[in-house]
Amino acid sequence: MGELRVERLKKHYPARRGSGHRTGLRVFDDVTFTVGEGEFVSVIGASGCGKTTVLNLAAGLDTPSGGSIFVDGRAVTGPGLDRGIVFQEFALFPWLTVAENIAFGLKSMRVPGEQRKRTVAHIVDLVGLKQFADYYPNRLSGGMRQRVGLGRALAINPSVLLMDEPFGALDSVTREAMQNALAEIWIETRKTVLFITHDIREAVFLSDRVLLLAGRPSQIVLDLPIDLPRPRGRHDASFQEKERNLEVALRGGSSQTGDSGEAPAPREKTVSH
Amino acid sequence: MNQSGYMAKSPTDDDLEPPAWRRLAKDAYYVLIPIVVVLVFWQMFAKMSGISPVLFPPLENIWNALVHTATEGTLWADLGGTFLRLFKAVAAGSVIGTIIGALMGYFRDWERAFVGPLNFLLAIPGTALFPLTMIWFGLTEMAILSILIYEVSLTVMANTWSGVKSIDVSLIRAARAFGANGASMFWRVLLPSAMPSIISGYRLAFSRAWRIVIIAEMLVSVSAGLGYRLFWAREFFQTEIVYATLLTIGITGLLFERLVLRSAEAMTVNRWGTVRELE
Ligand SMILES: Nc1ncnc2c1ncn2[C@@H]1O[C@H](COP(=O)(O)OP(=O)(O)O)[C@@H](O)[C@H]1O
Ligand SMILES: [Mg+2]
Repeated sequence: MGELRVERLKKHYPARRGSGHRTGLRVFDDVTFTVGEGEFVSVIGASGCGKTTVLNLAAGLDTPSGGSIFVDGRAVTGPGLDRGIVFQEFALFPWLTVAENIAFGLKSMRVPGEQRKRTVAHIVDLVGLKQFADYYPNRLSGGMRQRVGLGRALAINPSVLLMDEPFGALDSVTREAMQNALAEIWIETRKTVLFITHDIREAVFLSDRVLLLAGRPSQIVLDLPIDLPRPRGRHDASFQEKERNLEVALRGGSSQTGDSGEAPAPREKTVSH
Repeated sequence: MNQSGYMAKSPTDDDLEPPAWRRLAKDAYYVLIPIVVVLVFWQMFAKMSGISPVLFPPLENIWNALVHTATEGTLWADLGGTFLRLFKAVAAGSVIGTIIGALMGYFRDWERAFVGPLNFLLAIPGTALFPLTMIWFGLTEMAILSILIYEVSLTVMANTWSGVKSIDVSLIRAARAFGANGASMFWRVLLPSAMPSIISGYRLAFSRAWRIVIIAEMLVSVSAGLGYRLFWAREFFQTEIVYATLLTIGITGLLFERLVLRSAEAMTVNRWGTVRELE
Protein backbone atom coordinates (compact mmCIF):
# COMPACT_ATOMS: atom_id res chain seq x y z
CA MET A 1 0.00 0.00 0.00
CA GLY A 2 1.31 3.44 -0.83
CA GLU A 3 1.17 4.46 -4.44
CA LEU A 4 0.71 8.09 -5.42
CA ARG A 5 -0.49 8.75 -8.95
CA VAL A 6 -0.75 12.24 -10.38
CA GLU A 7 -2.63 12.40 -13.67
CA ARG A 8 -2.80 15.35 -16.05
CA LEU A 9 -2.79 17.73 -13.14
CA LYS A 10 -3.67 21.32 -13.95
CA LYS A 11 -3.66 24.39 -11.74
CA HIS A 12 -4.59 27.89 -12.81
CA TYR A 13 -5.06 30.90 -10.60
CA PRO A 14 -7.77 33.21 -11.85
CA ALA A 15 -7.00 36.82 -12.76
CA ARG A 16 -7.40 39.12 -9.83
CA ARG A 17 -7.26 42.85 -9.68
CA GLY A 18 -4.01 44.04 -8.19
CA SER A 19 -2.43 40.58 -8.19
CA GLY A 20 -0.17 41.39 -11.11
CA HIS A 21 -1.69 38.58 -13.15
CA ARG A 22 -4.16 40.36 -15.36
CA THR A 23 -4.90 37.25 -17.32
CA GLY A 24 -4.50 34.74 -14.52
CA LEU A 25 -1.61 32.41 -13.82
CA ARG A 26 -1.22 28.97 -15.33
CA VAL A 27 1.07 27.26 -12.85
CA PHE A 28 0.91 23.99 -14.79
CA ASP A 29 -1.35 22.47 -17.41
CA ASP A 30 -0.51 18.84 -17.59
CA VAL A 31 1.66 17.19 -14.98
CA THR A 32 1.68 13.41 -14.76
CA PHE A 33 3.87 11.17 -12.64
CA THR A 34 3.66 8.23 -10.31
CA VAL A 35 5.44 7.55 -7.06
CA GLY A 36 5.55 3.81 -6.69
CA GLU A 37 5.07 1.97 -3.44
CA GLY A 38 8.04 2.43 -1.14
CA GLU A 39 9.65 4.86 -3.52
CA PHE A 40 11.29 8.14 -2.53
CA VAL A 41 10.70 10.73 -5.24
CA SER A 42 11.86 14.32 -5.12
CA VAL A 43 10.47 17.20 -7.11
CA ILE A 44 13.00 19.88 -7.73
CA GLY A 45 12.64 23.21 -9.48
CA ALA A 46 13.20 26.92 -9.28
CA SER A 47 11.27 28.91 -6.73
CA GLY A 48 7.79 29.80 -7.96
CA CYS A 49 7.55 26.92 -10.43
CA GLY A 50 4.71 25.25 -8.55
CA LYS A 51 6.34 22.67 -6.30
CA THR A 52 4.33 23.65 -3.26
CA THR A 53 1.22 23.71 -5.40
CA VAL A 54 1.75 20.08 -6.44
CA LEU A 55 2.21 19.05 -2.84
CA ASN A 56 -0.81 20.99 -1.59
CA LEU A 57 -2.94 19.39 -4.27
CA ALA A 58 -1.71 15.95 -3.27
CA ALA A 59 -2.39 16.85 0.35
CA GLY A 60 -5.93 17.84 -0.55
CA LEU A 61 -5.40 21.29 0.94
CA ASP A 62 -6.03 22.89 -2.44
CA THR A 63 -8.23 21.88 -5.38
CA PRO A 64 -6.86 21.30 -8.88
CA SER A 65 -8.19 23.09 -11.96
CA GLY A 66 -8.10 19.78 -13.78
CA GLY A 67 -6.72 16.27 -13.63
CA SER A 68 -6.65 14.01 -10.62
CA ILE A 69 -4.53 12.50 -7.90
CA PHE A 70 -4.88 8.97 -6.61
CA VAL A 71 -3.55 7.43 -3.44
CA ASP A 72 -3.67 3.65 -3.75
CA GLY A 73 -6.23 4.09 -6.50
CA ARG A 74 -8.58 6.33 -4.48
CA ALA A 75 -9.05 9.84 -5.82
CA VAL A 76 -7.96 12.64 -3.50
CA THR A 77 -10.88 14.97 -2.73
CA GLY A 78 -9.61 16.66 0.43
CA PRO A 79 -7.18 16.26 3.30
CA GLY A 80 -6.97 12.76 4.67
CA LEU A 81 -5.05 10.69 7.16
CA ASP A 82 -3.81 8.37 4.42
CA ARG A 83 -1.27 11.11 3.71
CA GLY A 84 1.19 12.50 6.25
CA ILE A 85 2.39 16.00 5.59
CA VAL A 86 5.56 17.72 6.76
CA PHE A 87 5.50 21.48 6.34
CA GLN A 88 8.39 23.78 5.56
CA GLU A 89 7.36 26.15 8.35
CA PHE A 90 6.97 23.18 10.77
CA ALA A 91 3.42 24.28 11.71
CA LEU A 92 3.60 22.62 15.13
CA PHE A 93 0.88 23.37 17.65
CA PRO A 94 2.61 25.57 20.24
CA TRP A 95 0.15 24.67 23.02
CA LEU A 96 0.91 20.95 22.72
CA THR A 97 4.00 19.12 23.88
CA VAL A 98 6.17 17.11 21.50
CA ALA A 99 4.30 13.92 22.39
CA GLU A 100 0.92 15.62 22.06
CA ASN A 101 1.84 17.11 18.69
CA ILE A 102 2.84 13.66 17.49
CA ALA A 103 -0.41 12.23 18.84
CA PHE A 104 -2.58 14.82 17.07
CA GLY A 105 -3.46 12.72 14.03
CA LEU A 106 -3.91 9.59 16.14
CA LYS A 107 -6.49 11.43 18.21
CA SER A 108 -8.32 12.41 15.04
CA MET A 109 -8.36 8.74 14.13
CA ARG A 110 -9.72 7.93 17.61
CA VAL A 111 -6.93 5.49 18.30
CA PRO A 112 -7.55 4.23 21.86
CA GLY A 113 -5.34 5.74 24.60
CA GLU A 114 -3.15 2.77 25.36
CA GLN A 115 -2.32 2.07 21.74
CA ARG A 116 -1.81 5.76 21.09
CA LYS A 117 0.72 5.97 23.88
CA ARG A 118 2.65 3.03 22.48
CA THR A 119 2.72 4.51 18.98
CA VAL A 120 3.80 7.92 20.23
CA ALA A 121 6.58 6.38 22.32
CA HIS A 122 7.80 4.45 19.30
CA ILE A 123 7.72 7.51 17.03
CA VAL A 124 9.35 9.81 19.57
CA ASP A 125 12.16 7.28 19.71
CA LEU A 126 12.31 6.92 15.93
CA VAL A 127 12.76 10.65 15.36
CA GLY A 128 15.29 10.88 18.18
CA LEU A 129 13.33 13.00 20.65
CA LYS A 130 13.09 10.59 23.55
CA GLN A 131 14.31 13.10 26.14
CA PHE A 132 12.12 15.87 24.79
CA ALA A 133 8.68 14.26 24.71
CA ASP A 134 7.30 16.69 27.29
CA TYR A 135 8.85 19.84 25.85
CA TYR A 136 6.81 22.55 24.22
CA PRO A 137 7.91 23.36 20.66
CA ASN A 138 9.13 26.85 21.52
CA ARG A 139 11.92 25.32 23.57
CA LEU A 140 13.23 23.20 20.69
CA SER A 141 15.75 24.09 18.01
CA GLY A 142 14.69 24.24 14.37
CA GLY A 143 16.02 20.77 13.61
CA MET A 144 14.24 19.27 16.59
CA ARG A 145 11.02 21.02 15.62
CA GLN A 146 11.11 19.43 12.20
CA ARG A 147 11.75 16.06 13.83
CA VAL A 148 8.44 16.62 15.61
CA GLY A 149 6.86 17.55 12.28
CA LEU A 150 8.17 14.34 10.77
CA GLY A 151 7.03 12.34 13.79
CA ARG A 152 3.54 13.81 13.58
CA ALA A 153 3.33 12.70 9.95
CA LEU A 154 4.79 9.23 10.58
CA ALA A 155 2.60 8.56 13.61
CA ILE A 156 -0.55 8.12 11.52
CA ASN A 157 1.28 5.49 9.46
CA PRO A 158 0.27 7.14 6.18
CA SER A 159 0.32 5.46 2.78
CA VAL A 160 2.24 8.43 1.45
CA LEU A 161 4.49 10.96 3.12
CA LEU A 162 4.38 14.43 1.59
CA MET A 163 7.20 16.80 2.46
CA ASP A 164 7.46 20.40 1.28
CA GLU A 165 11.03 21.67 1.59
CA PRO A 166 11.05 20.35 5.15
CA PHE A 167 14.64 21.39 5.79
CA GLY A 168 14.49 24.66 3.86
CA ALA A 169 14.29 26.74 7.01
CA LEU A 170 17.30 25.11 8.66
CA ASP A 171 20.96 26.09 8.63
CA SER A 172 23.24 23.98 6.44
CA VAL A 173 24.77 21.89 9.24
CA THR A 174 21.41 21.02 10.77
CA ARG A 175 20.03 20.42 7.34
CA GLU A 176 22.62 17.74 6.57
CA ALA A 177 22.06 16.11 9.93
CA MET A 178 18.33 16.03 9.22
CA GLN A 179 18.91 14.57 5.77
CA ASN A 180 20.96 11.80 7.34
CA ALA A 181 18.27 11.20 9.94
CA LEU A 182 15.54 11.11 7.29
CA ALA A 183 17.56 8.70 5.13
CA GLU A 184 17.90 6.35 8.10
CA ILE A 185 14.25 6.62 9.04
CA TRP A 186 13.27 5.99 5.45
CA ILE A 187 15.39 2.85 5.25
CA GLU A 188 13.68 1.69 8.42
CA THR A 189 10.11 2.51 7.38
CA ARG A 190 10.26 2.32 3.55
CA LYS A 191 7.49 4.86 3.21
CA THR A 192 6.33 6.17 -0.14
CA VAL A 193 7.63 9.74 -0.14
CA LEU A 194 6.99 12.77 -2.30
CA PHE A 195 9.68 15.23 -1.33
CA ILE A 196 9.84 18.83 -2.50
CA THR A 197 13.14 20.66 -2.51
CA HIS A 198 15.19 23.16 -4.43
CA ASP A 199 18.45 21.71 -3.18
CA ILE A 200 20.08 19.41 -5.74
CA ARG A 201 22.37 17.68 -3.28
CA GLU A 202 19.50 17.00 -0.93
CA ALA A 203 17.48 15.48 -3.75
CA VAL A 204 20.33 13.23 -4.90
CA PHE A 205 21.13 12.18 -1.36
CA LEU A 206 17.61 11.08 -0.49
CA SER A 207 15.79 10.05 -3.64
CA ASP A 208 15.21 7.03 -5.81
CA ARG A 209 14.06 9.39 -8.56
CA VAL A 210 14.23 13.13 -9.08
CA LEU A 211 11.64 14.98 -11.14
CA LEU A 212 12.59 18.37 -12.49
CA LEU A 213 9.75 20.85 -12.79
CA ALA A 214 10.41 23.81 -15.07
CA GLY A 215 8.89 26.12 -17.64
CA ARG A 216 5.91 28.35 -17.56
CA PRO A 217 3.44 26.76 -17.28
CA SER A 218 5.62 24.15 -15.59
CA GLN A 219 6.19 20.68 -16.88
CA ILE A 220 8.23 17.74 -15.78
CA VAL A 221 11.25 18.18 -18.02
CA LEU A 222 13.37 15.43 -16.48
CA ASP A 223 12.78 12.19 -14.62
CA LEU A 224 16.18 11.10 -13.34
CA PRO A 225 16.64 7.79 -11.50
CA ILE A 226 19.24 7.90 -8.73
CA ASP A 227 20.39 4.31 -8.66
CA LEU A 228 23.15 4.79 -6.10
CA PRO A 229 23.49 2.35 -3.22
CA ARG A 230 22.54 3.53 0.26
CA PRO A 231 23.81 4.89 2.55
CA ARG A 232 25.18 7.44 0.12
CA GLY A 233 28.35 9.44 0.39
CA ARG A 234 27.99 13.03 -0.67
CA HIS A 235 31.60 13.06 -1.85
CA ASP A 236 31.53 9.93 -3.98
CA ALA A 237 32.28 10.47 -7.65
CA SER A 238 29.05 8.82 -8.77
CA PHE A 239 27.07 11.02 -6.39
CA GLN A 240 28.67 14.18 -7.70
CA GLU A 241 28.06 13.11 -11.26
CA LYS A 242 24.34 12.89 -10.54
CA GLU A 243 24.50 16.31 -8.94
CA ARG A 244 26.14 17.71 -12.07
CA ASN A 245 23.55 16.11 -14.35
CA LEU A 246 20.80 17.70 -12.36
CA GLU A 247 22.50 21.03 -12.18
CA VAL A 248 22.88 21.20 -15.95
CA ALA A 249 19.27 20.19 -16.41
CA LEU A 250 18.10 22.71 -13.81
CA ARG A 251 19.98 25.54 -15.54
CA GLY A 252 18.60 24.52 -18.89
CA GLY A 253 15.12 24.16 -17.45
CA SER A 254 15.09 27.51 -15.75
CA SER A 255 16.57 29.32 -18.75
CA GLN A 256 13.23 28.76 -20.44
CA THR A 257 11.83 31.44 -18.26
CA GLY A 258 14.81 33.67 -18.98
CA ASP A 259 15.83 35.20 -22.28
CA SER A 260 18.15 32.53 -23.62
CA GLY A 261 16.60 31.06 -26.73
CA GLU A 262 18.61 27.84 -26.53
CA ALA A 263 16.47 26.07 -23.98
CA PRO A 264 16.41 22.31 -24.50
CA ALA A 265 12.61 22.17 -24.43
CA PRO A 266 10.50 24.44 -26.62
CA ARG A 267 9.71 27.75 -24.97
CA GLU A 268 6.30 27.90 -23.43
CA LYS A 269 3.88 30.54 -24.51
CA THR A 270 3.10 32.91 -21.71
CA VAL A 271 -0.50 33.45 -20.86
CA SER A 272 -0.60 37.17 -21.35
CA HIS A 273 -1.06 38.99 -24.66
CA MET B 1 28.82 45.01 26.60
CA ASN B 2 32.06 43.86 25.04
CA GLN B 3 33.01 40.25 24.58
CA SER B 4 35.47 40.11 27.47
CA GLY B 5 32.96 41.68 29.80
CA TYR B 6 30.53 38.94 28.92
CA MET B 7 33.16 36.23 29.24
CA ALA B 8 34.11 37.52 32.64
CA LYS B 9 30.72 36.45 33.95
CA SER B 10 31.95 33.11 35.22
CA PRO B 11 30.16 30.76 37.62
CA THR B 12 32.01 32.35 40.53
CA ASP B 13 30.17 35.58 39.78
CA ASP B 14 26.91 33.71 39.95
CA ASP B 15 27.89 32.46 43.37
CA LEU B 16 28.11 36.05 44.47
CA GLU B 17 24.51 36.72 43.50
CA PRO B 18 22.43 37.27 46.63
CA PRO B 19 20.12 34.40 47.60
CA ALA B 20 16.48 34.58 46.61
CA TRP B 21 15.20 35.72 50.01
CA ARG B 22 17.73 38.53 50.06
CA ARG B 23 16.56 39.76 46.66
CA LEU B 24 12.92 39.50 47.73
CA ALA B 25 13.72 41.48 50.84
CA LYS B 26 15.40 44.09 48.69
CA ASP B 27 12.38 44.34 46.40
CA ALA B 28 10.08 44.66 49.40
CA TYR B 29 12.32 47.39 50.72
CA TYR B 30 11.82 49.49 47.60
CA VAL B 31 8.09 48.93 47.66
CA LEU B 32 7.82 49.73 51.35
CA ILE B 33 9.78 52.97 51.40
CA PRO B 34 7.26 55.11 49.53
CA ILE B 35 4.40 53.53 51.49
CA VAL B 36 6.05 54.38 54.78
CA VAL B 37 6.78 57.90 53.58
CA VAL B 38 3.14 58.43 52.58
CA LEU B 39 1.90 57.06 55.89
CA VAL B 40 4.23 59.29 57.88
CA PHE B 41 3.17 62.40 55.98
CA TRP B 42 -0.45 61.38 56.27
CA GLN B 43 -0.18 61.06 60.00
CA MET B 44 1.72 64.34 60.38
CA PHE B 45 -0.85 66.16 58.23
CA ALA B 46 -3.81 64.64 60.08
CA LYS B 47 -2.41 65.52 63.48
CA MET B 48 -0.86 68.92 62.85
CA SER B 49 -2.80 70.65 60.09
CA GLY B 50 -5.82 71.23 62.29
CA ILE B 51 -8.12 69.77 59.67
CA SER B 52 -11.08 68.00 61.18
CA PRO B 53 -10.55 64.22 61.61
CA VAL B 54 -13.92 63.82 59.89
CA LEU B 55 -12.31 64.98 56.67
CA PHE B 56 -8.87 63.60 57.22
CA PRO B 57 -8.78 60.95 59.92
CA PRO B 58 -5.45 59.88 61.42
CA LEU B 59 -4.21 56.40 60.65
CA GLU B 60 -5.34 54.81 63.89
CA ASN B 61 -8.97 55.79 63.19
CA ILE B 62 -8.83 54.18 59.76
CA TRP B 63 -7.19 51.09 61.19
CA ASN B 64 -9.81 50.87 63.92
CA ALA B 65 -12.57 51.20 61.36
CA LEU B 66 -11.01 48.40 59.37
CA VAL B 67 -10.69 46.15 62.41
CA HIS B 68 -14.22 47.03 63.49
CA THR B 69 -15.81 46.20 60.14
CA ALA B 70 -13.75 43.02 60.00
CA THR B 71 -14.79 41.75 63.42
CA GLU B 72 -18.34 42.88 62.94
CA GLY B 73 -18.42 41.00 59.61
CA THR B 74 -19.55 43.76 57.27
CA LEU B 75 -16.13 43.86 55.61
CA TRP B 76 -16.39 40.21 54.62
CA ALA B 77 -19.99 40.56 53.56
CA ASP B 78 -19.05 43.53 51.36
CA LEU B 79 -16.07 41.75 49.83
CA GLY B 80 -18.16 38.64 49.29
CA GLY B 81 -21.02 40.61 47.73
CA THR B 82 -18.79 42.48 45.31
CA PHE B 83 -16.78 39.45 44.27
CA LEU B 84 -19.85 37.29 43.86
CA ARG B 85 -21.31 39.87 41.46
CA LEU B 86 -18.02 40.00 39.60
CA PHE B 87 -17.76 36.25 39.27
CA LYS B 88 -21.32 35.85 38.09
CA ALA B 89 -20.77 38.54 35.48
CA VAL B 90 -17.37 37.28 34.40
CA ALA B 91 -18.67 33.72 34.14
CA ALA B 92 -21.70 34.62 32.06
CA GLY B 93 -20.00 37.36 30.06
CA SER B 94 -16.93 35.35 29.20
CA VAL B 95 -18.97 32.40 27.95
CA ILE B 96 -21.05 34.67 25.72
CA GLY B 97 -18.02 36.68 24.62
CA THR B 98 -15.80 33.69 23.93
CA ILE B 99 -18.39 31.86 21.86
CA ILE B 100 -19.50 34.80 19.74
CA GLY B 101 -15.94 36.14 19.44
CA ALA B 102 -14.69 32.75 18.26
CA LEU B 103 -17.50 32.44 15.72
CA MET B 104 -16.67 35.93 14.48
CA GLY B 105 -13.04 35.01 14.12
CA TYR B 106 -13.79 31.79 12.26
CA PHE B 107 -16.78 32.53 10.04
CA ARG B 108 -16.82 35.48 7.69
CA ASP B 109 -20.60 35.78 7.94
CA TRP B 110 -20.56 36.03 11.71
CA GLU B 111 -17.83 38.60 11.50
CA ARG B 112 -19.75 40.69 8.99
CA ALA B 113 -22.93 40.48 11.03
CA PHE B 114 -21.35 41.32 14.39
CA VAL B 115 -18.49 43.68 13.71
CA GLY B 116 -20.70 46.74 13.27
CA PRO B 117 -22.81 46.23 16.39
CA LEU B 118 -19.73 45.26 18.39
CA ASN B 119 -17.85 48.43 17.50
CA PHE B 120 -20.93 50.54 18.15
CA LEU B 121 -21.53 49.01 21.56
CA LEU B 122 -17.86 49.22 22.49
CA ALA B 123 -18.19 52.97 22.02
CA ILE B 124 -20.86 53.09 24.74
CA PRO B 125 -19.36 52.82 28.22
CA GLY B 126 -21.22 50.26 30.30
CA THR B 127 -21.90 52.89 32.96
CA ALA B 128 -23.90 54.94 30.45
CA LEU B 129 -26.49 52.17 30.45
CA PHE B 130 -27.37 52.57 34.14
CA PRO B 131 -30.44 54.73 33.60
CA LEU B 132 -31.73 52.14 31.19
CA THR B 133 -31.10 49.07 33.35
CA MET B 134 -32.54 50.89 36.36
CA ILE B 135 -35.71 51.57 34.38
CA TRP B 136 -35.84 47.96 33.25
CA PHE B 137 -34.91 46.14 36.42
CA GLY B 138 -35.46 48.75 39.13
CA LEU B 139 -32.92 49.07 41.93
CA THR B 140 -32.10 45.39 41.88
CA GLU B 141 -29.15 43.09 41.61
CA MET B 142 -30.06 42.56 37.98
CA ALA B 143 -29.54 46.24 37.17
CA ILE B 144 -25.89 45.78 38.16
CA LEU B 145 -25.32 42.32 36.74
CA SER B 146 -26.70 43.17 33.33
CA ILE B 147 -24.22 46.00 32.92
CA LEU B 148 -21.31 43.93 34.14
CA ILE B 149 -22.21 41.12 31.77
CA TYR B 150 -22.54 43.64 28.96
CA GLU B 151 -19.08 45.05 29.59
CA VAL B 152 -17.38 41.70 30.15
CA SER B 153 -18.90 39.98 27.14
CA LEU B 154 -18.01 42.81 24.77
CA THR B 155 -14.44 43.00 26.00
CA VAL B 156 -13.95 39.25 25.84
CA MET B 157 -15.66 39.13 22.45
CA ALA B 158 -13.32 41.69 20.92
CA ASN B 159 -10.23 39.92 22.25
CA THR B 160 -11.37 36.44 21.30
CA TRP B 161 -12.32 37.62 17.84
CA SER B 162 -8.91 39.12 17.19
CA GLY B 163 -7.21 36.12 18.78
CA VAL B 164 -8.98 33.60 16.57
CA LYS B 165 -8.60 35.79 13.52
CA SER B 166 -4.88 36.17 13.96
CA ILE B 167 -4.27 32.42 14.17
CA ASP B 168 -1.44 31.34 11.93
CA VAL B 169 -3.08 29.91 8.77
CA SER B 170 -0.37 27.29 8.54
CA LEU B 171 -1.65 25.85 11.83
CA ILE B 172 -5.15 25.57 10.41
CA ARG B 173 -3.76 23.83 7.35
CA ALA B 174 -1.76 21.45 9.51
CA ALA B 175 -4.80 20.76 11.64
CA ARG B 176 -6.89 20.02 8.56
CA ALA B 177 -4.17 17.77 7.21
CA PHE B 178 -4.16 15.84 10.47
CA GLY B 179 -7.87 15.30 10.63
CA ALA B 180 -9.38 18.27 12.49
CA ASN B 181 -12.57 19.75 11.09
CA GLY B 182 -15.73 21.48 12.25
CA ALA B 183 -16.18 21.17 15.98
CA SER B 184 -12.87 19.43 16.56
CA MET B 185 -11.10 22.23 14.71
CA PHE B 186 -12.74 24.66 17.09
CA TRP B 187 -11.91 22.83 20.31
CA ARG B 188 -8.54 21.41 19.40
CA VAL B 189 -7.04 24.29 17.44
CA LEU B 190 -8.89 27.60 17.31
CA LEU B 191 -9.61 27.88 21.00
CA PRO B 192 -6.17 26.89 22.32
CA SER B 193 -4.35 29.00 19.77
CA ALA B 194 -6.45 32.02 20.71
CA MET B 195 -6.07 31.26 24.42
CA PRO B 196 -3.39 33.85 25.21
CA SER B 197 -5.45 36.62 23.71
CA ILE B 198 -8.65 35.28 25.27
CA ILE B 199 -6.99 35.32 28.66
CA SER B 200 -5.75 38.85 28.26
CA GLY B 201 -9.33 39.68 27.29
CA TYR B 202 -10.49 38.20 30.61
CA ARG B 203 -7.93 40.28 32.42
CA LEU B 204 -9.03 43.45 30.73
CA ALA B 205 -12.68 42.54 31.28
CA PHE B 206 -12.06 41.97 34.95
CA SER B 207 -10.41 45.33 35.46
CA ARG B 208 -13.23 47.10 33.63
CA ALA B 209 -15.87 45.18 35.57
CA TRP B 210 -14.05 45.97 38.80
CA ARG B 211 -14.40 49.70 38.16
CA ILE B 212 -18.01 49.40 37.13
CA VAL B 213 -19.17 47.20 39.97
CA ILE B 214 -18.02 49.74 42.56
CA ILE B 215 -19.91 52.55 40.86
CA ALA B 216 -22.93 50.35 40.31
CA GLU B 217 -23.14 49.40 43.97
CA MET B 218 -23.17 53.09 44.87
CA LEU B 219 -26.05 53.84 42.51
CA VAL B 220 -28.14 50.79 43.20
CA SER B 221 -28.39 50.21 46.92
CA VAL B 222 -27.84 46.56 47.51
CA SER B 223 -27.41 44.90 50.86
CA ALA B 224 -23.66 44.39 50.72
CA GLY B 225 -20.79 45.44 48.50
CA LEU B 226 -17.72 47.63 48.64
CA GLY B 227 -19.30 50.38 46.55
CA TYR B 228 -22.42 50.26 48.65
CA ARG B 229 -20.27 50.54 51.78
CA LEU B 230 -18.60 53.69 50.42
CA PHE B 231 -21.98 55.24 49.70
CA TRP B 232 -23.40 54.24 53.06
CA ALA B 233 -20.35 55.54 54.97
CA ARG B 234 -20.69 58.91 53.26
CA GLU B 235 -24.39 59.09 54.12
CA PHE B 236 -23.55 58.55 57.77
CA PHE B 237 -20.46 60.72 57.62
CA GLN B 238 -18.17 57.89 58.66
CA THR B 239 -15.10 59.10 56.84
CA GLU B 240 -12.77 56.52 58.33
CA ILE B 241 -14.96 53.78 56.87
CA VAL B 242 -14.75 55.51 53.49
CA TYR B 243 -10.97 55.43 53.74
CA ALA B 244 -10.91 51.87 55.06
CA THR B 245 -13.10 50.73 52.17
CA LEU B 246 -10.95 52.52 49.60
CA LEU B 247 -7.95 50.75 51.06
CA THR B 248 -9.73 47.40 50.81
CA ILE B 249 -10.72 48.07 47.20
CA GLY B 250 -7.17 48.97 46.23
CA ILE B 251 -5.56 46.00 47.93
CA THR B 252 -8.00 43.31 46.84
CA GLY B 253 -8.14 44.61 43.28
CA LEU B 254 -4.39 44.61 43.04
CA LEU B 255 -4.01 41.18 44.62
CA PHE B 256 -6.62 39.58 42.41
CA GLU B 257 -5.15 41.07 39.27
CA ARG B 258 -1.61 40.02 40.20
CA LEU B 259 -2.18 36.62 41.72
CA VAL B 260 -5.00 35.22 39.62
CA LEU B 261 -5.14 36.98 36.26
CA ARG B 262 -1.46 37.66 35.66
CA SER B 263 -0.48 34.13 36.55
CA ALA B 264 -3.12 32.64 34.25
CA GLU B 265 -1.73 34.77 31.48
CA ALA B 266 1.87 33.97 32.29
CA MET B 267 1.06 30.27 32.33
CA THR B 268 -0.15 30.11 28.76
CA VAL B 269 2.00 32.80 27.26
CA ASN B 270 5.29 31.72 28.77
CA ARG B 271 4.74 28.05 28.30
CA TRP B 272 3.77 28.22 24.68
CA GLY B 273 6.19 30.98 23.84
CA THR B 274 3.49 33.00 22.16
CA VAL B 275 5.06 36.22 23.36
CA ARG B 276 8.18 35.48 21.42
CA GLU B 277 6.20 34.85 18.27
CA LEU B 278 4.28 38.07 18.68
CA GLU B 279 7.42 40.14 18.99
N1 LIG C 1 -3.21 31.56 -3.83
C1 LIG C 1 -2.52 31.94 -4.93
N2 LIG C 1 -3.02 32.86 -5.78
C2 LIG C 1 -2.33 33.24 -6.87
N3 LIG C 1 -1.13 32.76 -7.21
C3 LIG C 1 -0.56 31.85 -6.41
C4 LIG C 1 -1.22 31.39 -5.22
N4 LIG C 1 -0.42 30.47 -4.62
C5 LIG C 1 0.69 30.38 -5.39
N5 LIG C 1 0.61 31.19 -6.46
C6 LIG C 1 1.59 31.31 -7.52
O1 LIG C 1 1.79 30.05 -8.11
C7 LIG C 1 3.15 29.87 -8.44
C8 LIG C 1 3.68 28.60 -7.85
O2 LIG C 1 3.77 28.76 -6.45
P1 LIG C 1 4.41 27.63 -5.51
O3 LIG C 1 3.77 26.34 -5.79
O4 LIG C 1 4.35 28.13 -4.12
O5 LIG C 1 5.93 27.61 -6.00
P2 LIG C 1 7.20 26.91 -5.36
O6 LIG C 1 6.77 26.13 -4.19
O7 LIG C 1 7.77 26.07 -6.46
O8 LIG C 1 8.14 28.00 -4.99
C9 LIG C 1 3.89 31.10 -7.98
O9 LIG C 1 4.11 31.92 -9.11
C10 LIG C 1 2.95 31.74 -7.02
O10 LIG C 1 3.08 33.14 -7.04
MG1 LIG D 1 7.33 26.26 -2.11
